[in-house]
Amino acid sequence: MTDFHQTGIITTLHNLGKSSLERLEEELKAFVRLRPVALVLPALYSEFEGPAMPGIVKELAKVGYLKEVVLILDAAAEKDFQRVREFMSPVANVKVIHNDGKRIKDIYAAFARNHLEVGQRGKGRSVWLASGYVLARGLSDVIVLHDCDIVTYSREMLARLCYPVVNPNLNFVFCKGFYSRVTDRMHGRVTRLLVTPLLRSLDSLFPGEFPFLKFLDSFRYLLSGEFAMVTDLARVNRIPWDWGLEVGSLAEVYRNFSPLRVCQVDIATTYEHKHQALSAGDPGKGLMRMTVDICKAIFRTMASEGAVFSDGLFKSLSVAYLRRAEDTIMKYEADAAINGLFFDRNGEAEAVDAFTKAIAIAARVYMEDPLATPLIPNWNRVTSAIPGILDMLTRAVEEDNR
Amino acid sequence: MKDFIALLSEPLREVSAHFARFFPNVLAMLIIIAAGIVAAFIIRRALLKLLEAIRFNSWSDRKGLTASMRKWNLWTDPAGAVVSFIYWILLIMVFMAGFSALKIPAIDNLVAQFVLYIPRIVSAVLILALGYIVTGFVGWAVVISAVNRGYHFARLFADAVRIFLIVLFIAMALEQLQVAPGIVVAAFTIIFGGVVLALAIAFGVGGIDAAKRIIERETKNGSDKGDVEHI
Repeated sequence: MTDFHQTGIITTLHNLGKSSLERLEEELKAFVRLRPVALVLPALYSEFEGPAMPGIVKELAKVGYLKEVVLILDAAAEKDFQRVREFMSPVANVKVIHNDGKRIKDIYAAFARNHLEVGQRGKGRSVWLASGYVLARGLSDVIVLHDCDIVTYSREMLARLCYPVVNPNLNFVFCKGFYSRVTDRMHGRVTRLLVTPLLRSLDSLFPGEFPFLKFLDSFRYLLSGEFAMVTDLARVNRIPWDWGLEVGSLAEVYRNFSPLRVCQVDIATTYEHKHQALSAGDPGKGLMRMTVDICKAIFRTMASEGAVFSDGLFKSLSVAYLRRAEDTIMKYEADAAINGLFFDRNGEAEAVDAFTKAIAIAARVYMEDPLATPLIPNWNRVTSAIPGILDMLTRAVEEDNR
Repeated sequence: MKDFIALLSEPLREVSAHFARFFPNVLAMLIIIAAGIVAAFIIRRALLKLLEAIRFNSWSDRKGLTASMRKWNLWTDPAGAVVSFIYWILLIMVFMAGFSALKIPAIDNLVAQFVLYIPRIVSAVLILALGYIVTGFVGWAVVISAVNRGYHFARLFADAVRIFLIVLFIAMALEQLQVAPGIVVAAFTIIFGGVVLALAIAFGVGGIDAAKRIIERETKNGSDKGDVEHI
């Protein structure tokens, strides 16, 4: 059982040990009459060959309150797409978007010829397109999203993630999931050793100037891929197509809504998914690429709020970050010790060194071109440029799923 | 013996004479077709470049032409579709011109028939295009009008009107193309007549009371209006 302390400027919904899946699902079935829910699943074909997806499908087949399930499939050939459709068939109301299919490629071609930069292939672009499809169908008021690599998936995760936004009495428009990524050791290095120390270092360099930093720091697991939001947000959101997706999404939520309407919910006691290699020597791969993108997203969002960055400030930031990250390692070492967890102190220090380099790379990229923003245009702009695009998208998916 | 050799060689001479007369025609046909294909290919490339230069695809996206193509399950870019259409028309014309160089009466007739048929094809395409616009406009007008009047089955009603108009315009296009005109007209008459008869019976039998109420209400409203005016 966790504590019930409220941290930061958003609402935290804890798991206080009295949760009942049956009760949650019964309530959700009543609430979805007012606020229908779409589940969006961004997936790679390789994930259907891994251990997580069979469990996810088995659990989703038992869920009775979803209006629609939209799986957006990436890196799949035509025969893989047909296999995935077959694989997903136990789940009710499911549609599979074939990102590499002829018709969806045609949709991307329409974006390109109308100068709508939707970025490179990746989770950000997939989530954006799937959200567009949900908007096009107009069946749902709430979009819920989770990754497809969760080995420990249970439908209680989904129910807890949906509940705060779907319950009309709670008045939340955005809800992010959190959980502890612990097995025999603590995972989540990027959140623990990069994001939190970096946000606090930035806050110390700009004391009290940017409430956005407090907003981000309020999230217990800022980089979790699980969230629920009202569909209106999907219409106005401009999200990054790179690894800055989570930070960029939260920046848009912060820009559009009061923190009072934002919450985070404890969705699982155990959560296990695939781990990425650090790739300390190659900033274009693995966690290094992710950390560079995240840092760029933070810098750009702060700049859009009025922060002035300079070479001197970035030098101070690197030093401040390093100090805080080293302090953080000591905190987690103590936490691991009392819980009897394995703790690789040297590995953690190597990660911090790599993250310091990533901050420097992100700073350099930002200074070279502060306007090179990887944000995907929001759907309002897209429908303004191509009025029939939502019809075209619906038609493409319907034809692919015929 | 000489007569026998002459008997044998005469047909061969005639065949070679025929071939000698016919060969220039074949050569002309081959040249026309080869030159025509090359010309059509060049025109295709030039037209594609022109449409790209004037951003025809982007214009089609904004004006809804691309969305209309997708509704018909055509998944190619609009410029490509237009250029391909023109290219194939040109190819057909090139082959027609090539075959007419053979000076064979049957082929000449076929070419003449095809040329005479072109206006009908154009008319049918125009009817379908006009029908598409009218169907969309009337469909939306019916939806808006029915919703404003508070009918519960507004969308269903609008869909029925749309389907009726689509059938009407397809029948008109087929009639224009002279594709089994008797059958098309008869089928359309039977379907349209059947629908009207079914509606008449449905309203007449099932809606006697409703019709009575409507007429009574209208009559009552008329008399009330008279009273108010009198006061």
